[in-house]
Amino acid sequence: MQTKPPFRLRLLPYGPGLIYFGMIALTPWVIRDAYFLDTLILILLWGALAGAWNVAGGYAGQVSLGHAAFFGLGAYCAVLSTVFWDFSPWLGMLLGAVLSTLAGLVIGYLSNRLRGPYFALATIAFAQMLLIVFSRWRAVTMGSEGLPVPFRTGLINFGFTTKPPWLFLALGFALLVYAVSVFLERSRLGYQLAGVREDEDAAQALGIPTRRLKVIAVVLSAFLTSICGTFWAQYIGFVDPFYVFSVDLSVRFALMAIIGGVGTALGPFFGSLLITSLESYLRATLSGVQSGLTGIYLIIYGGLLIIVVRFLPQGLAVWLAQRLRKGGKRGVTADA
Amino acid sequence: MKRRALRSIRFFSMPAILMVCVGILSLKPVAGQEFEGAYKIGILEPLTGPLAFEGKRHLEGFEIAREMINEQGGVMGKRLVFAVADAPDPTAAANEVNRLVTQEGVKIIVGTYSSTLCGAASSAAARHNIIYWETSCVDPRYAQRGLKNVYRTEIDANGFAWYMVEFTAKYLAPKLGKSPDELKVAFLSEDSSYGQGTTEAARKRAKEEFQMQEVSVDYYAALTTNDFTPILLKLKQAGPDILMAIGRGNDAILFWKQAKEKDLQVQALVSAGATGYGSPDFGKALGKDANGVFALLEPGPGFKIEALSPEGQQLERGFRERVEKQAGAVYGGHQLAGAGLWLLKIVLDKAQSDDPEKFRQAVLSLDLPVGSFLNGWGVKFQENGQNAGERVQHYMLQWQDGNLVTVWPEEFTTYRMKWMPFPPWDQRQ
Amino acid sequence: MDIFFQLLTTSLLLGGIYALMSVGLTLIFGVMRVVNFAHGEFIMLGMYLAFWGFTLYHLDPYVILLFSIPLFLAIGFLLYGMVMRGIIAASHNVQIFTTVGLSIALQNLALVLWTGDFRFVRLDYSKTVFRFWRSYVNLPQLIAFAIAAVLMLTLFALLRWTHFGKVVRATAQDREAAILMGIDPDRIHRLTFAMGITCAGVAGVLVSPLYSVYPTAGLQFVLIAYVVVVLGGLGNMIGALLGSLIVAGVEVMGSFLLGTAWKEVLYFLVFLLVLIFRPAGLLGQRGAETLGA
Repeated sequence: MQTKPPFRLRLLPYGPGLIYFGMIALTPWVIRDAYFLDTLILILLWGALAGAWNVAGGYAGQVSLGHAAFFGLGAYCAVLSTVFWDFSPWLGMLLGAVLSTLAGLVIGYLSNRLRGPYFALATIAFAQMLLIVFSRWRAVTMGSEGLPVPFRTGLINFGFTTKPPWLFLALGFALLVYAVSVFLERSRLGYQLAGVREDEDAAQALGIPTRRLKVIAVVLSAFLTSICGTFWAQYIGFVDPFYVFSVDLSVRFALMAIIGGVGTALGPFFGSLLITSLESYLRATLSGVQSGLTGIYLIIYGGLLIIVVRFLPQGLAVWLAQRLRKGGKRGVTADA
Repeated sequence: MKRRALRSIRFFSMPAILMVCVGILSLKPVAGQEFEGAYKIGILEPLTGPLAFEGKRHLEGFEIAREMINEQGGVMGKRLVFAVADAPDPTAAANEVNRLVTQEGVKIIVGTYSSTLCGAASSAAARHNIIYWETSCVDPRYAQRGLKNVYRTEIDANGFAWYMVEFTAKYLAPKLGKSPDELKVAFLSEDSSYGQGTTEAARKRAKEEFQMQEVSVDYYAALTTNDFTPILLKLKQAGPDILMAIGRGNDAILFWKQAKEKDLQVQALVSAGATGYGSPDFGKALGKDANGVFALLEPGPGFKIEALSPEGQQLERGFRERVEKQAGAVYGGHQLAGAGLWLLKIVLDKAQSDDPEKFRQAVLSLDLPVGSFLNGWGVKFQENGQNAGERVQHYMLQWQDGNLVTVWPEEFTTYRMKWMPFPPWDQRQ
Repeated sequence: MDIFFQLLTTSLLLGGIYALMSVGLTLIFGVMRVVNFAHGEFIMLGMYLAFWGFTLYHLDPYVILLFSIPLFLAIGFLLYGMVMRGIIAASHNVQIFTTVGLSIALQNLALVLWTGDFRFVRLDYSKTVFRFWRSYVNLPQLIAFAIAAVLMLTLFALLRWTHFGKVVRATAQDREAAILMGIDPDRIHRLTFAMGITCAGVAGVLVSPLYSVYPTAGLQFVLIAYVVVVLGGLGNMIGALLGSLIVAGVEVMGSFLLGTAWKEVLYFLVFLLVLIFRPAGLLGQRGAETLGA
């Protein structure tokens, strides 16, 4: 009979993750600078979004380039429910999550009909359609003029004047996504999803309910993306259909997850850390220079994406961890 | 022993990288108001991304106005300097506002051209309790959010629409020998926030105040519309007298080109804004075919600079000269930015302080008539921080032989409009 | 009735242009089984090539066309070696994100090099209009259509009646069998990729007098190309032709009847319906989309 290893050792794989989030949680006591905290909040938010994408794209292998659809639904439902019915944004968030779940069911259904690039194209089309609808539906969404998000303070109103509450809230969302990812890694569900990802036909032959699992993964991913969309809307304060449903945003979620580490729980957060901080830094440094140089970071991301996806498919996070662990030793080791 | 050491390395690799990134960010020195004798404000514009072409113009306009301001002694006795930040999207806009406030130490931020950016940026600025000075976005809800330290120097989409309809009803209609309610109007607009906002406001005013007959309304996606044939056929069937059109860029050029090809005949085309029909690119691309099109803009040639106050004249001339030299042509973006910044200088000179309360008092106390400074603007702010429409005089310009000349209001200009109503295409000079 | 003919003519001309843009995409997919998400960027590069050639050297776009072909072939070979070769046998993830990464890099390269300003190629004769039977036809549009038609016919002929064409079709049908027959698939892939993006580049040059040129111009065209090739069947050239005529027709008729606001929704709707009910497309091989191939 196998005894469970001591608690300390079981926690080991989560060490980096706990330290990562722990350090972030402690920052407001150490650093008061609003810009710094703001960037940290964005790192967490984009990390959560990348992690949410990862649930479908990484763990289940359903690569979607239209996740902005769920993001936008979350953002819009929050602001619309406040504007029309004076609801708390949390209720709006729930509404958005419900709608996104329904949308996720549609996309999940599509994922069972289509594979690979076909599926990706379908998701792009879906997000684009939502973009067009929301930017024309003036009666409800004020069309392309977008909607300013009413700002009221207090937890129930999802609004704060200082940064630390936002940080803790963002941390909460990020930890939720992280927990879901960890659960997927460790659970039977996740194990089966891995089978679907690696070889769907073989998994099906083994009796795994692949169709149902894929839909579950997509719906879960949609739900998580949507609630992060609500957070974003409340934090930034303005919902513009051309931004919240854009292809660029969808690609961004995927990009961070892939560069960081697709299929690992911490990978997307790492990817977000790298990309968001680099982006902020470059934008701040190069802004004064009157040239298009600021666009360079996107060229770097494009190149990085190509390199990582080809040569470091497990992502930078895992690659770095391996490199540091081996201490530079080459060769095949058992714990790859 | 070794294993534990190696394990610790893995443990700390992630957070170590976190620290490094953190370090990079905090390496940016907290500049604050560094130089003696210099006063720094933040400039937030889209310098990359899809809106960059206009953002760049705004920045140029700001720079030139800044030179002129410094020649006249700067603000509050100090030389004016900028901390420039790039806002390609709303998330970046909010992030950069935070940076400008905490890292650059500015108390006033000027920006941002686009409605989505100004919404996010002004929200972020309001949370820091600093002053946000908007020079160009046209979102009507901007001033309705009850934010005390958020101001706007330019009129919003409702204001544009007001002028468009005013011009059509009070100036064009009589020339056509019709009363406004006899006019058949068609609306055609690109579907960004600017186009939608202005067109909807125009529709409202045209219908409610003047009972103009609306025969057709069409929105299109400016960047993905390859061909206007279907719209043109529809318009030909509808037969409007006046076409109120808002364009974004090449779509205006494409439409008017195809309108000629398909022989669309309207009495007049009225547009608003520095993009699309009002952009120098329109005239460059269409040459003589652009003749006769109206666009609501900041003033162009023919503008009776003499109608401005002496001080205003000097400013106007100086500004135009420098913009021409630097950018080759005076675009609306330059004019809005320059006037907005100049207005800020006026306020700061009066308030002698960037304390939000004192600033606000100074802002509300200003009352200058039309013709006082750049663009022939005057100033009178409302309680909600919006510069009043009647003071922010806008002008109707018309394309005449490759130039946009000012034709209305008549007291401000030496030029008069031509080709109204439009003769058939082959007869247009 | 006049209106009907006008709409028909416009659909035809537009369809021809869409076909040229899409044919490269479908060719690449057919042979390499890779969806080139960066396809639109090559159209954009073609547009910029025409713009700079016209602005700096006063060359007519149709002259630029002649040397754009070898130029894009060269770019194709280069990019194939650098980027595309390694992903043929890789997973979908790798394929998708390699081309997505390429797309991001190219878009922003254009932004950095040439700024986001909207440019245009203004030809003296771009305003010439013909009265063709009962409709108006614009000269650059007509030329674009004519050249596109010629190029596509050449491509078809190449694929149908030459040895090279046979080899390409063999590789497309069954890569392993082709290897057994002594065909070097790598060479074929390289050539096909180069040909595919050359079609895109040429399409860009041809449409430069018609649309604005800016770094993200590719996006608007590539979305249409996706719809066209999926509709026609990924990998099927005739399908691409058919698909482009249908999409152009839907777009033109839809704009006229329902207003342009909803035309994009229309063809995305068509797209989604096709993906749901007949994902292989009108002429594609049934089941292709679920084979992951």
